[in-house]
Formats: sequence, structure tokens, C-alpha cells
Amino acid sequence: MSILETGLDFWNPIIWISVFVIVGALVCIFRSRGQKRYKKGTAQAEIFLSGEEPPAVEQRHIKAHNIYWGFFETLAGYYDRNIRAHTGIVNDYVMWFVVLIAITAVILFVVGLL
Amino acid sequence: MSLSSFRRALWAYHINTGSCNGCDIEILATLTPRYDVERFGIMLVGSPRHADVLLVTGPVSRQMVSRLKRVYEQVPDPKMVIVVGNCGIEGGVFYESYNLVGPVDQIIPVDVYVPGCPPRPEAIIEAVAKAWVKLEQAEKRGVT
Repeated sequence: MSILETGLDFWNPIIWISVFVIVGALVCIFRSRGQKRYKKGTAQAEIFLSGEEPPAVEQRHIKAHNIYWGFFETLAGYYDRNIRAHTGIVNDYVMWFVVLIAITAVILFVVGLL
Repeated sequence: MSLSSFRRALWAYHINTGSCNGCDIEILATLTPRYDVERFGIMLVGSPRHADVLLVTGPVSRQMVSRLKRVYEQVPDPKMVIVVGNCGIEGGVFYESYNLVGPVDQIIPVDVYVPGCPPRPEAIIEAVAKAWVKLEQAEKRGVT
């Protein structure tokens, strides 16, 4: 058995694999004992939303944008400016690069390093 | 009436289609220690996909028609439908109201009727037992 001792803890891949296999087997056993009488491809296989019509699959999930809502809201001032600047057009990014290089060159020229 | 076997528990899903809650309270009364239907393996479940029996209360208001149909379709076959209370059977005190589409058997097939306003818990338990017998017979016939 290859046990990695860290001084505080240990790591053994055999134990991890064993736990994974045992849990996987238990999941398969529980799943095999589930409801088998339903008909696939009918309403019996659809999700239950208190009788409401289930929305399309892509509408069922919380979008990543929603998860970061509070983050974007708090930093709205920062993101509004940055999102406007990020047009996704390479020409704009090259323009920013050239402009910043020019500004940097002017600063260096003024302080006498060039 | 006799139950040939108790091979597995009977799970029921309860849907209220516009009831005044009187029948719903009586259904809940069957779960109290006085009646305790769970000792027979009869219990309410939270999803029609897990249910054998659909318990319907209420006269079926216009808004509930599509919901009732969808819930009925989501119960696996073979399934039984029990209508609890006069409202679901013939409209009850809501008879010929402008906002009703029911009674229930106008919308989905019904197997057992439990009259009363509200019916007593003993009547609901007897109806579930009758549905259980019909369910077993349906399973023996291979109804799917």
C-alpha cells in the first residue's frame, strides 16, 4: 500500500478508489430498486413542477450570470466602464496597445530615460 | 372485499383542484395517530411520479384543468384515481359556477368516488383500500 504521509494527514489512492467503487455500487443498487413502471418518452418521465409545464432544458438551469449577480452589482461602476471598453474587436485592442505604448513613451521621454 | 397481498406499500399523491380544504383536512386526518394509514403502508408522496394512486379533491377550476391532466399523465401505469368529496364528484356547493370545468371525471378517468362534504376519514381509507384492490387486479391483468 502506497501511503503518502504528510505529517498531519495521509493520502492513499487505494482507499479513495475503494470508497468510490463502494459508493458507486450503492448508487447502482438504490437506482435499480427505483420506480420501473413509468413509460419513457411520455409525461411520466418529465420533471414534476407542481403540475406546471416544464420549461425547455436550457431554461431550467441557473445561468452563471445569475450566480455572479451580486458581484456584478457591487462592482457595477468598474464593470460598466470595462465592458464598454471590451468590444471584442481586435483593432480596438491594438489601438489601446498603441495608445498606451505612445503614452508610456512620452512619459519616459519626459523623465529623460529615452 | 379482500386484499390478496401487501407486497408493497401504496403511495398516493394528493392534488387540490379548487377544494375549500375540508376534504384535504380529512385526508390529513387519515395520517394522524387515530387512523394512522401509514401502518398499512399507505402514505402521501410529494410527486405523482412516485405515486400509485391519485387523490383528487375540489371541483376543478378552469386554472387547474391543465395541471390536473399533467399530474394524471405523470403517474406511472397502472394507476388509480380517487375523487374525495362531493365537489369533485358533481360540483358540490360550487355546482354550475362560472369558473368550473369539472367535475373530475369530465377531465380524467376516475376509479373510486368518495361522497361527502367532507367525507369521513374512514370513507377515504375504504376508498383507498378499494383502489388498492383494483390496482392489484389491474396489475394481474397486466394493464400498463
